[in-house]
Amino acid sequence: MVDPKTDNKDSKELVRTEFGANGHIQPGRYYGHGLPYLPIDQYPGKIIAIEGTDGVGRSTQIQLLREWLEVQGYGVVETGWTRSALMQPTIELAKSSNTLNKLTFVLLYATDFADRLEKEIIPALKAGFVVLSDRYIFSALARAGVRGVDRAWLRSLYGFAIAPHLVFYLKLDVDTLIRRVLSARGMDFWESGMDLKGGDDIYDSFRSYQNKLLREYGSMADEFGFRMLDARKPVDVLQEELRRQVGAFLSGSDISVDGREVSGG
Amino acid sequence: MGKKKNSLTPTTFSLLHATDFADRQLYNIVPPLKAGMIVLADRYAYTAFARDVARGVDRAWVRDLYSFAVRPDLALYFRVPIDVSLDRLMARRVKLKFYEAGLDMGWSLNAQESFRIFQGKVLEEYDRLIDEFGLSVIDASLSITDQQQTVRNLVSRQLERPALEAVSQ
Repeated sequence: MVDPKTDNKDSKELVRTEFGANGHIQPGRYYGHGLPYLPIDQYPGKIIAIEGTDGVGRSTQIQLLREWLEVQGYGVVETGWTRSALMQPTIELAKSSNTLNKLTFVLLYATDFADRLEKEIIPALKAGFVVLSDRYIFSALARAGVRGVDRAWLRSLYGFAIAPHLVFYLKLDVDTLIRRVLSARGMDFWESGMDLKGGDDIYDSFRSYQNKLLREYGSMADEFGFRMLDARKPVDVLQEELRRQVGAFLSGSDISVDGREVSGG
Repeated sequence: MGKKKNSLTPTTFSLLHATDFADRQLYNIVPPLKAGMIVLADRYAYTAFARDVARGVDRAWVRDLYSFAVRPDLALYFRVPIDVSLDRLMARRVKLKFYEAGLDMGWSLNAQESFRIFQGKVLEEYDRLIDEFGLSVIDASLSITDQQQTVRNLVSRQLERPALEAVSQ
C-alpha cells in the first residue's frame, strides 16, 4: 500500500513477480502467481492470440483462421475483449458515462479477462480446443501503459493470465491505420485517447495516442515473444502466413484432431 | 450485477471489490484526506486480504493488487470468535448472505456450516495481517462501551490529543 507520508515510489514493500521475462514463461502456464485454486498443468488445448491496434483486421483474420482450423478438424473457441457475460454491460455503461478513471478502467478490463479466462479459456484448454483470442492481455497492458499505470503493477495484476502458445502481432503504421479507420467507421472517443485530454482535435489525439500505443506494443514484442506480421499486406496473403505458422505449430503438437490423438509432441 | 447471478469466481470477486475500492478511493478517500479531514473506513483492503485469500486467491497477488491503496494511519481489527459472530448474526435473525457465508465455495450446502468453515479461514488470514500490517486488535467480545473506550484511546493517541477532550466532544 501507499504510505501517504513517504514518496510513493519508495514504499513498495511487495515482491514483484518476474513476468514473461524475455518469453521464458512456458506457453500454457500462468505468467505469475496464477490461480492457486485452478492448477492447469498439461491441458491439451492451445491459446492463439491475435494482437494489434484497432483497424488492423484482426476479426477478419480470426474468422478466416477459424474456418480453416475447423475444416482441419480442430475444435475452436473464440474469445475477445469485454465479451464476458459478467462485465460487458458494466464496461459499456462505464464507457458511455465517462465516470471511470484509468485505474478503475484497468481493473474492470482485468475482471472481464479473469471471467473469460476461468469460464471460457481454461475449460476450452482442458477439453483440447484451440482458443482464438481476439486481443489478449497485451492490449490491456498497452492501453494502461500509455495512460501511465505502473507497468510492474500491471504485470503482477495479470499474473493470473496464461501465456499463449502463439501471439501474432498485426503491425500497422499510423498513416495506414488512420486511413483505414476513417474509411471504415471514423474515429471514436476512446480509440482516439480523448480521455488523455491531449486537446480537442480528434485527429491529432488519435495520431498521438495510436503512436504511443504502437511504441508500447513494440516494447512488449521481445518480452512476450510476439510473432510480427505486416498488416499492410492483403487479407489473403496475411491469412496464408497465419495458416502456415499456426499449421506448423499445431502439427507438431499433441492436440487431437477429429477426436483422435495425433501424438507428435 | 454479478453477485445476483451467483456467478463470481474468487478472482472476479476479488477484482470487482478492488475496482470498487479504487473508485471509492478516488472520490471518497483521497479528496477528504487532501482537505485534512479524517476518513473513517468501514472495512479496508485488509478485508480483501483476508476474505479473498480464504477463497483461494494468491496471497502475494492480492497484496500487490491493492498496492495503489493509501496506507491507513490507524487500522483497527475487531476480533471475535466465530461462535460469537454467528450467535450475534442469528440473534438478529439475519439471513446469512451467499458470499458472506462462503456458499460460493461449495464447502457445505448448509449456510451456517459454510459460514463457520469460511469465516474460520478468514480469521486465520486476519491473524497473519496483525503483524504484517500492524493492525490494532480490539477484543470484540467485550462490551460495546469497553470497545469504544479502547477505540477512542487509540484514535486519540493517533491524533496526538488528550483522550478526554476527544471523548467529550
